Amino acid sequence: MKPAPLEYLTALTVEEALAALARFDGNVRLLAGGQSLVPLLSMRLLRPMAVVDINRIPGLDRIVAADGVVRVGALARYSALEASPVIRERVPLLAKAIPFVGDRQIRNRGTLGGALCHADPAGEMALCAVTLGARLRIVGHSGLRELDAEAFFQGPYTTALEPNEMLETVEFPDGAGTEAVVVEHARRHGDFAVVSVAATGLRAPDGSWRWMRIGLGAVADRARYARRASEGLAGTRLQPADVTAAAARCLEEAGPTSDVRASAEYRRHLVPILVERALEDLARRR
Amino acid sequence: MTVALLVNGRPYERSVESRRLLVDFLRHELQLHGTHVGCEQGVCGACTVLLDGEPVKSCLMLAPQAHGHSITTVEGLAGRGELHPVQQAFRDAHALQCGYCTPGFLLGAVALADRGVALEGAALREELAGNLCRCTGYQNIVEAVERYLRQAAAGRRDG
Repeated sequence: MKPAPLEYLTALTVEEALAALARFDGNVRLLAGGQSLVPLLSMRLLRPMAVVDINRIPGLDRIVAADGVVRVGALARYSALEASPVIRERVPLLAKAIPFVGDRQIRNRGTLGGALCHADPAGEMALCAVTLGARLRIVGHSGLRELDAEAFFQGPYTTALEPNEMLETVEFPDGAGTEAVVVEHARRHGDFAVVSVAATGLRAPDGSWRWMRIGLGAVADRARYARRASEGLAGTRLQPADVTAAAARCLEEAGPTSDVRASAEYRRHLVPILVERALEDLARRR
Repeated sequence: MTVALLVNGRPYERSVESRRLLVDFLRHELQLHGTHVGCEQGVCGACTVLLDGEPVKSCLMLAPQAHGHSITTVEGLAGRGELHPVQQAFRDAHALQCGYCTPGFLLGAVALADRGVALEGAALREELAGNLCRCTGYQNIVEAVERYLRQAAAGRRDG
């Protein structure tokens, strides 16, 4: 299992990376952490003419809180996110999700941007991005554009990125003071999710929830924000009846299929159970 | 293309195909066979090395990516005829049988000690979860790493 012959280019700036992408007219991949890309190359599921290493672009891994948002560079690695007080305090959902990603070695290399561009329907980073309503800053030859996470993901391993574009920054709303939880069922510890549920919300001083956002992973061709279930929880106190109703709505919003990890039926069985666990966890917090 | 890097403190420069995986570079170009090839897809951890002090899987990197970086392999641990404390701890705790996964575990443990974390139990198992062992049942590996981390922490306090 070795990659097919390819050209290896190093970009030192975003402009160089874009120029390299243009040179190979789509038959090229950006190499960030490489924790999904390199196995795909080794198995020859991908045979690009070239890879463009963006690991040496300075500043592409910055984590900055400003103007009511937290901007995370595409090259920020899981281990850096895990250790970041800014992420822990202001994007707590991301902090809760990272322990579910890979293992120590994978987290030392894997990047937020790489995970989003890989667009695995079971991926935790995509789940966080749609649950939080993240904005993605994309650079290309024609300049800069921004997309909502929900519009970025278009299907399994498929995004709205054009062949000559690159994801540069991910912008999360500043979630200081919010509560967050991730619940996941996998066949083995650290394995890909069979179903994952993310939930985050802001509680008012009177104990009710001002808003709540629930995301579902591995139950459709892409991570899904459960809009109706989420909106129905605003103003509630997550009483048992609220939780049951939200779980039922999430099931309506999920469209699971069968694959090597689990049957669609088993996933449908899991969705309300995991949603209830997530919401009950939030309801218990003081 | 030319790859120049430090391995176990020693500079090397080799010309390689750009598709060369780092683990194959270490084994075939540098003849450092202590880094083992297991699954070749980033699951088993047998090929774990330290990249600038952090454990990574060398089957998930192309050799040119390591250009200009510092790599530590299991060959960099023992001094002249003397086991590194982590190796001694593995020996004392009977933490290996066939030994295939051992280099990966050793380097992960060294990185933990360098970070100054004296983990044990579930938290330690979580840190070691990227390395698979098919012989030992892990009990003695966890025991060995706990011992080594305690020693390393005590060494820092005394020294």
